[in-house]
Amino acid sequence: MTFPLLAAGCKGVGALGTPPLPLPDVAVLDHAITAEKLMIARYHAAISGAPAQSALLAPLLAQHQAHLARLRSRLLDPRAASQASSPSPRGAAPPGSSATSGLAVTLAALQAAEQDAASALVRHLAEVTPSFAQLLASIAASEASHALLLRLRGGA
Amino acid sequence: MTRSDRSWRGLMTRSGGSRSAPATRSALQSALAAEHAAIYGYGVAGAHLKGARQQAAQRDWAAHQVARDVLEARLSSLGAQPVAAQDAYQLPFPVHSSSAAAALAAFLEDGVATAYLRLVALDDPRLRAWGARQVRASALRATSWTGRAAAFPGLAASARATTSAPRPAAS
Repeated sequence: MTFPLLAAGCKGVGALGTPPLPLPDVAVLDHAITAEKLMIARYHAAISGAPAQSALLAPLLAQHQAHLARLRSRLLDPRAASQASSPSPRGAAPPGSSATSGLAVTLAALQAAEQDAASALVRHLAEVTPSFAQLLASIAASEASHALLLRLRGGA
Repeated sequence: MTRSDRSWRGLMTRSGGSRSAPATRSALQSALAAEHAAIYGYGVAGAHLKGARQQAAQRDWAAHQVARDVLEARLSSLGAQPVAAQDAYQLPFPVHSSSAAAALAAFLEDGVATAYLRLVALDDPRLRAWGARQVRASALRATSWTGRAAAFPGLAASARATTSAPRPAAS
């Protein structure tokens, strides 16, 4: 039987392959993935309730899906995240609530959720590894831009 | 004075020496070079805009001048010679219309965001936070010019930064 360290020439654990993520990264990544799932659920609910707004909302939804994919790619086992249950959105309009006032409320809720998500992403910036900090800052900037678009086009 | 300016002043007085001073200086110089290019580019863009859009260009131009000044001050406080602006920069595409001017502004902002992401990768938590705020500010300005949001502001540009970013024009 050959022990892994012997096979690696006793070069330390680094020679065995990619080391696991530091603990702060794991915790922050878990929160970020959960938050992206929640935003995706919010957008699905909003588009179902106001299909006429899909030209505005679908591109933003697609970017959240891209954020989620990029975050999941940092997991050693991406299946672990995909098997977790998806959170349910609170405050999103239920399907069928297509009245103008309901639409305004929905867009305002999405705008607030985007701002909150952007703020949460950078809250733990100092605790994570450099490349992860860059990804979090970039996604936070994207979500702040979403909030701006929702305000400009949604009239909130 | 903006909130960002105030937090930067705090950074100037509280931040001590760093084990990674060369990396800090390099990242600050990159951000300063990007700000120089943005200031030049906004001058070009503003010449092709009118009315409210020209006012927006002037506002954004001024924001980049403020950022340039704080970066220069920070570099000087570290004992570094701030990188100088070039006389002219080669634009990434011809700018002869208002739509091209808006596209140029968005292009410049993404380049600036890319440069500030280098600050986000530093060890200093205050520089990380300030860099992240600058990335956000650039993304918001870019969105206001294009009416679109980028999925990964600053990150997408990093791949093309060496080939198509505004660069000093050949003399």
